[in-house]
Amino acid sequence: MTSQREITISPTTRIEGHGKVTIILDEAGNVSDAYFYATEIRGFDYFLRGMEADRLPFIISRICGVCSTAHVLASVKAIENIYGTEITETAKKLREVLLMGQIISNHSLVFFFLILPDFWFSKEEDPSKRNAFQIMRENPEIGRKAIALRSFATKILDTIGKREVHIVSAIPGGLISPLKEKEREELLKAAKEACAITQEAVSLGKELFEKNWEEFRKAGDYKTHYMALTEDDATEFYEGKIRIINPEGAVYSEFTAQDYMKHIEEKRYEWTYAKFACLKTLGCQKGIVQVGPTARINVNRKAKTEFANKELEEFKRKFGSPAHATLLFDYARLIDLLYACERTRELLEDENITRTDTRVKVKPKGGIGTSVVEAPRGTLAHEYTLTRNGRLKSIKLIIPTQVNSAAINLNVKDAATEFIQKGEIKTGLLNRIEMVVRAYDPCIKCATRNVTDGLKVEIRNQEGKLLKILS
Amino acid sequence: MKVNIVSLTCCAGCVSSFLNAGDALLEILSQDFDIVYSPTFVDLKEVPQVDLAIVEGGVRTEADEKLIREVRAKSRVLVALGICATHGGVTSLGNIISVKKLLEKEYFVLETSKLPELEDLMYPICNFVDVDYYIPGCPPMPFLIVHSLKSIVSGKTPIRHQSVVCTECNRKIIAAKLDRLYGIYDKEADPNLCLVSQGFVCLGSLTREGCGAPCPRAGFTCFGCRGPTDSLLYRSRDLYSFLVKVISKRTSIPEEEVKKELYRNPFIFHTFIFSKFERFKARERII
Ligand code: SF4
Ligand code: SF4
Ligand code: SF4
Repeated sequence: MTSQREITISPTTRIEGHGKVTIILDEAGNVSDAYFYATEIRGFDYFLRGMEADRLPFIISRICGVCSTAHVLASVKAIENIYGTEITETAKKLREVLLMGQIISNHSLVFFFLILPDFWFSKEEDPSKRNAFQIMRENPEIGRKAIALRSFATKILDTIGKREVHIVSAIPGGLISPLKEKEREELLKAAKEACAITQEAVSLGKELFEKNWEEFRKAGDYKTHYMALTEDDATEFYEGKIRIINPEGAVYSEFTAQDYMKHIEEKRYEWTYAKFACLKTLGCQKGIVQVGPTARINVNRKAKTEFANKELEEFKRKFGSPAHATLLFDYARLIDLLYACERTRELLEDENITRTDTRVKVKPKGGIGTSVVEAPRGTLAHEYTLTRNGRLKSIKLIIPTQVNSAAINLNVKDAATEFIQKGEIKTGLLNRIEMVVRAYDPCIKCATRNVTDGLKVEIRNQEGKLLKILS
Repeated sequence: MKVNIVSLTCCAGCVSSFLNAGDALLEILSQDFDIVYSPTFVDLKEVPQVDLAIVEGGVRTEADEKLIREVRAKSRVLVALGICATHGGVTSLGNIISVKKLLEKEYFVLETSKLPELEDLMYPICNFVDVDYYIPGCPPMPFLIVHSLKSIVSGKTPIRHQSVVCTECNRKIIAAKLDRLYGIYDKEADPNLCLVSQGFVCLGSLTREGCGAPCPRAGFTCFGCRGPTDSLLYRSRDLYSFLVKVISKRTSIPEEEVKKELYRNPFIFHTFIFSKFERFKARERII
């Protein structure tokens, strides 16, 4: 066996949350199975039961501080769905801006802080230097761009959400307060600057991506189903229909949020607390679905904004539609980022956004309601059952990372098979696992509402006996 | 100065908040502030010896406990960032699972059986190690984090916030004449009056200042994410009776009735501080 030291290259790093990988070997020492999973429950789904609906949106956002805004919006929408509340156009526009702020905040973090170091440094770079802070030291201009985009998102969330992390302004019935004209002007000015910076970021990302493409394309290429929101064939984040396409790109099904749980089912495996999610009709073997940046492009024919649409067309030309290679998530994420900036600008150019009718009165009642939004990592669904007196009776959340789990596992198994033969572990295993896992930008905290220790690779034999732990 | 950023059981919102500090973040990064270990951002595996460790999240697993002890042993100064680290945070609501019976009696009949029993509880880190500074908040605001870190980096004690959120909120407190309390979605709030004076259950009067009161300023009640203020941590720890008095005074609703209303939902006070504290005695270190 190769010495463990060679394989210990920081597997836990630059992934939000922590995960764990188990590789199972057969008698001959070849890979028979591999899992990417999480190990313990934080308990959200349990302790939220009995909670008053009033308090759900802002408590549930604590599932994940990185995509908290997406959770808040999904939560208020699900409650509105039960109450039968129709919010105003103004509130809808403001919520969409909030969601765009969420996308910008997450994607700028993922691109500059988590992914860029892989593109930027050579593989031989000293791992202690392979990080965003080092890039910022070497190239302060990039640091300023990263911070400028992040600050723009912060400004949106702070101005409209009233807090940058765990917003409080979105409530059942709309938005707690309107946007002031002065705030609109300031945000619009910032949006214009942000769009310019994003375009530069996209060019930089594309250039570095293309340089590495020959290498990247080898790292996983699975023909699966894809799912995303759509409206008139265009990418959509806040509302619209859910569309699933098959691996050849034909529409497999299309439905409204209320029917989400009829199409997607969760599957529990005893080895992980993160439940998987897959297509009900096809089951978890054949019905593997992927969500997220690539899925949004694969499912849709166009984007509503000018530059994002150009990039989307170029993407489809270069990589086909549907595009399958795993690492394309990193490329597609940049197109999301561009869309979010442009769309924010567009929404803020509309002077009607400062109208004061942001809130309608809600009529609380019991029942079941489901809502769907596109979170940074893909389609996010919340379903609540409320009792007559407005308490949470049961809750079901299907999180993007759960949906992607099956595909992530395929990727991990592939890497394992490639790198482990006859009990011999070649160098590069962890690096490969890390890169494909990172492409999905998985949010393990979300998928399990959960805690784990760091990403470890456990190698077990068929009886489940632990042979080796790499970490 | 070498710095560790460590995440235990949490939502990662506190480090997110730190990254939201914008130019102030760039400034601090350009100074003597070298982040050498941070699983979210840096590819270093072993916990190194450092001058300053910033810890978000609480202790929920043995792995958390092991890590926090190691981090403590290897850091000169240790800062608990966010209320998960300082008081247990929202995740400590998971601790109710093991007191399920009690809750069923007191609060709401849970309709499903077979909830899996959690073996461990969620604890603040001070139950395991000495903490040099506590910065509560869910998350603490970026300016609060950066200001405090700047002081710590230059060897000074950060400015403490000992008063309550009401001092940072511009709303006018009056003794109104109301006949009942309201949920936050029941009616629109008057933009100038204290929310409690309007019948909403705002926790500003018992919560530590230092956030700038963004929630009540926006018309949303403060729900206590900075934790109890100094006096309530030590002199009177009975948050209920304190708030009952405040609400009764500002609404003219008799204390008995306020009590009845508040007791219906124990989560109101303990959303962020449901955990069990063992060694939380360093008031002068709460920022
Ligand atoms: S204190 Fe709040 S924001 Fe910080 S990690 Fe805990 S839940 Fe997240
Ligand atoms: S109780 Fe709330 S609304 Fe009233 S003054 Fe205090 S913080 Fe402001
Ligand atoms: S106002 Fe209250 S809930 Fe809002 S940030 Fe301050 S302490 Fe937290």
